[in-house]
Amino acid sequence: MLRTPLARTSGTLTASRASYDPRLVREATATKALSSRQRLATYNRQYWFRLFGVLHGAFPLTTRLFGHWIFNEYACRFLVAHPPDGWDIELVAVGFDEFLADELEGKSITIEPGGSTLESAALIEAARIDAAFFEVFRAPPVEPYVPTAADAERLLAGRLVLSPAAALFSERWPLSDLRRELAGSEGEAPVPLPSPLSSARSWLLLRKKLQIGQIPLEAGELRLLTLLTRFPVGEALALLEGEWPEGERSSLPPLAQRWLARSVELGLWSRLDGQK
Amino acid sequence: MVGPELARNALGLGLRSQHYRELFELWPELDYFEIISENFLSEALSPRFHLDRVKERYPIVLHGVGLNILGPTPPDPEYLDRLCWLADYVNAPFVSDHLCWTGVPAASHHDLLPTPYVPELIGLVAERAAFVQRQLGRPFGLENLSSYVEFERSTQSEWNFYASVVREAGCSFMLDINNIYVSSQNHGFSASEYLAAIDFSRVLQVHIAGHLRQSDGLIVDTHDQAVAEPVWQLYAQAFREHGPFPTLLEWDDHIPPLPQVLAELSKAEARRS
Repeated sequence: MLRTPLARTSGTLTASRASYDPRLVREATATKALSSRQRLATYNRQYWFRLFGVLHGAFPLTTRLFGHWIFNEYACRFLVAHPPDGWDIELVAVGFDEFLADELEGKSITIEPGGSTLESAALIEAARIDAAFFEVFRAPPVEPYVPTAADAERLLAGRLVLSPAAALFSERWPLSDLRRELAGSEGEAPVPLPSPLSSARSWLLLRKKLQIGQIPLEAGELRLLTLLTRFPVGEALALLEGEWPEGERSSLPPLAQRWLARSVELGLWSRLDGQK
Repeated sequence: MVGPELARNALGLGLRSQHYRELFELWPELDYFEIISENFLSEALSPRFHLDRVKERYPIVLHGVGLNILGPTPPDPEYLDRLCWLADYVNAPFVSDHLCWTGVPAASHHDLLPTPYVPELIGLVAERAAFVQRQLGRPFGLENLSSYVEFERSTQSEWNFYASVVREAGCSFMLDINNIYVSSQNHGFSASEYLAAIDFSRVLQVHIAGHLRQSDGLIVDTHDQAVAEPVWQLYAQAFREHGPFPTLLEWDDHIPPLPQVLAELSKAEARRS
């Protein structure tokens, strides 16, 4: 049974609100068997079930870590703050990862009924991973950027634009593994959070035709690619150099060159924008 | 381009992503598929890929849930443009959506909501339906809802309202037999009287589907199980008195293997004789 914040104490789904608009209650007909509130409750229940279902589908890992009970509570808060708009119901899920990050930052979450506690950082990370998969899946077909000889002159001043069919993320828990393991399985109870990794892993999600590939990156590579999504190429390289340990800076140029070339070979970028 | 008209005795199935693997292995004999328009209006690659494979072998009709034709504002022009594009893309013989409202500006309920049935709404929605049909350049059908509330201010029956809209718009019926049964039980009217009000020469197709009777007695249009016997009986009555017409099975949740779904659809043939 999907539990919602509509009736936490009873543990059942109570779809009949106490506060329907009185005009609506007066307008809707009742029968001997059912009051107008009870009839309106059918629509209320369907509304929440439908939207929770969309969020469960878009955030499968996050849902399983929270368990449906707690996930639906956050989903409800999100949906009240951001009611669906427009014909595309899938867009309901957009922004839920950012919402969770705002809600959870610095907090510890107690998962009922087991009483175990989850680190919010792990939940935020899970939501970002789910969001990355969601966006990459939904991306339109995009031709990857192929540099020309003329581009060499304007590369440093230009800004590479990340393909919508690509996403970058790092993880401190093996959550992408867990996501893969949970795929296709069902369950409402929370699943245990795996132990944290000894060191963070960096990944590129890249859609090629219908498959979403998960490609390991070096930590420095992830950092460079992230900087490249925000700054012109020359500036991104300079920023990376500034962050690089001073004693190791001589090794950076060939690394950066290799990483940059690889990103282009993989088809990570959709275009090179002009000088900013 | 508009695809050829379906045969009047055609049998079709609502296409769902759960079907793909078996469909692409079995390629069953089937007259047509119906797709939910909204599942294919975005630019996402995967839905389009699968759609391309299906449209190579089967006629496809469109069935939408987002037109909001009874909403406070006219149908979204951007949505309508995409719908027209999709209809051309699959060469749909016809397109349908529901006689309902789904939301207000900046807030969509994503559900099929009834309105009071009053004469002043007939002209409004008929004009919109006629416009949609002109834009689509092919027959456009309005589907009757299953509903869980009626309104005190309704001054006419749902079937008279529905028939009036279709007549005035010059469009068609996309008649849902299961919805007639569900609503007749929920609101206590005669399903036969409903059928008698429909001009079957304007019926593009009928839908059949399963439903759920809740413990409180209300029937909910869940599309998650086999067609109930009373619905089959109503279908048989409709076919006997007004057939033939294309028939489509909707099964949207707890979907069994494709052969089982097709076996359910094949019961329609037995019910016609």
